[in-house]
Amino acid sequence: MSSLGWPLSQLMARLLVLLGPVVGLVAAAAADVPPPGWVTALVVVLAVGWAFMPESLLGTMCLAVVLAWWGIADFTEVPAEALVAALGLLVAHVAAVLAAYGPPEMAIDTPTVRLWLTRGAAVFVTAPIVWMLAVLMRGQPEPPGVWIAAMVAVVVASLMATVAFAPPQERAVDG
Amino acid sequence: MTPWRPTAALSRALVVAGLGIGGAVLLGEPVGLVLVAPLILCAALGLAGRPTSTPTVSSEVDHVSLHEGQGTTSRLQVTGADDAEQITRAIADAAYVATHPAEGRVSRLLAEGLPDLEISPRRWGRRVLGQERVGFTTRWAGYRWGPVTLPGLQMQVLPGPTAYTSRAETPQPKGLVGAHRSARPGSGTEFAGIREFQPGDRLRRINWRISSRTRRLHATTTRAEEDAAILLVIDAVADHGRSGGVDGAASSLDLTVRAAAALAENAVRRGDRVGLRVVGGSGRQLRFGSGWVHLRRLLLALSAIQSGGEGHRALATHARVPLRATEGTTVVLLTPMLTEAIATVAASTARRGLPTLVIDTLPPDAEPALPDDTDPDLADLAWRMRKVEREQVLAGLSGLGCPVVAWRGPGTLDDVLHRLARRAQLPQVRIR
Repeated sequence: MSSLGWPLSQLMARLLVLLGPVVGLVAAAAADVPPPGWVTALVVVLAVGWAFMPESLLGTMCLAVVLAWWGIADFTEVPAEALVAALGLLVAHVAAVLAAYGPPEMAIDTPTVRLWLTRGAAVFVTAPIVWMLAVLMRGQPEPPGVWIAAMVAVVVASLMATVAFAPPQERAVDG
Repeated sequence: MTPWRPTAALSRALVVAGLGIGGAVLLGEPVGLVLVAPLILCAALGLAGRPTSTPTVSSEVDHVSLHEGQGTTSRLQVTGADDAEQITRAIADAAYVATHPAEGRVSRLLAEGLPDLEISPRRWGRRVLGQERVGFTTRWAGYRWGPVTLPGLQMQVLPGPTAYTSRAETPQPKGLVGAHRSARPGSGTEFAGIREFQPGDRLRRINWRISSRTRRLHATTTRAEEDAAILLVIDAVADHGRSGGVDGAASSLDLTVRAAAALAENAVRRGDRVGLRVVGGSGRQLRFGSGWVHLRRLLLALSAIQSGGEGHRALATHARVPLRATEGTTVVLLTPMLTEAIATVAASTARRGLPTLVIDTLPPDAEPALPDDTDPDLADLAWRMRKVEREQVLAGLSGLGCPVVAWRGPGTLDDVLHRLARRAQLPQVRIR
């Protein structure tokens, strides 16, 4: 137990929530696009808030700032450091999920941690795949219909979000 | 009906994934996709676990009545949680109730089984467990149900089982059958004497050795064995000192209730009849009775005792407390002796010739509970004066032949009861 009355597992999870976005910025610096001081300070402040309130909007804002910094940087090719940044964002997200399962005084169950480690490792595989595709397709002529495919993807994502946040329908009761 | 709601994790993954895809498409820079690719998958899998069932949940404890220090398990009854993957339950803190895991908060995969909470009440009385909050989360932390609040369950906590056995005889047994040696002859096992055979004597009582020597029939006589009546008088006018539960410091009411429970159990085990009179608090009375069912009734009555209350005010206006103790009853008064009316009860029963015993239950470190604005020096002086008065009252009761002992657990009363039993054989002047 810490002085806050939180168990070690909660402290570890929140530390990872704090460090994940910072790792994302450090990876950007390693890829020769060091963020200015105010961006770093903003991310640290948002990450600290997210670590204390893992269910708050601060998490979304924090990840969005890191993503924006990577997005506006002008790369000649997708750097390998992006994989480190992706890992940092994923770790922070998963740690926040674990921390948000209950109040901060509650220890995180070991089987739950094991399950999310497996899940995290499984979903992270997509990052190197996308990175490899991006590296391979760099400089290739734009395939026909790519914008239509992108628009379809955005529409599908919007539809999924609508379905996800719609209130469940009342089911008819027979008899 | 509590609905399932998307979790903050799903919202976060969806928004960040959308920003990554949008940015990559608009800026023509695939690095954003690399960063959010795992989150896209997390969001998609979270959405895929959209639940359709409606859970219902309730909780219950294995035992609603148990002794202080004992433990029981609080279990959840859950239906309709097929879509859920994780369950979280958190129970609010309640006075004198210990939970395991610590803090009463636990989260677990439903595949591992429902999480149970071990609960142990640490003090006698009516205990209400804290309100409980239960929530479910679907796979990939996509949706959450609750947390819903379940009302706190009530438990009746009996005084702790105390290892107390006394071999002392009761001063004036007046019952029919029991374990105490009577002053009159009867069909017991305790040898009384040998006398000439009389019509009505049982043949197996004939002492053949004496009869053959004297050439006249002689019979061995024995003393009858009787049960006794014990009236436990509980002073619940106020509770002095701090209670730390079964493992911690004991307040005056803790000592009183636990000592009364131990005495009652010991008496019932010996076949004696036990009555109860609570002075102050609820003012409850329990008629004399014997047997384990009666003991259970006594323990329940003891566990329901609360200090102060209506009885306290009645005691202030009517200083006389009727006890309904008949001849042959041993009155055991358990009190911190800080109320005049209680001292009057002890003195009047002693004057009536009833064997009366005062068990002093004031903890040595007891201090009065004071309002914040009280001058501590003045309060200390008043408390010392009150204790001096108390010592005088106790000395006065001893002078009246009413022994005063501090409760020390097993063997506390043996010596005193032996002396009372010897004194009961002597002729006495009684005031009725």
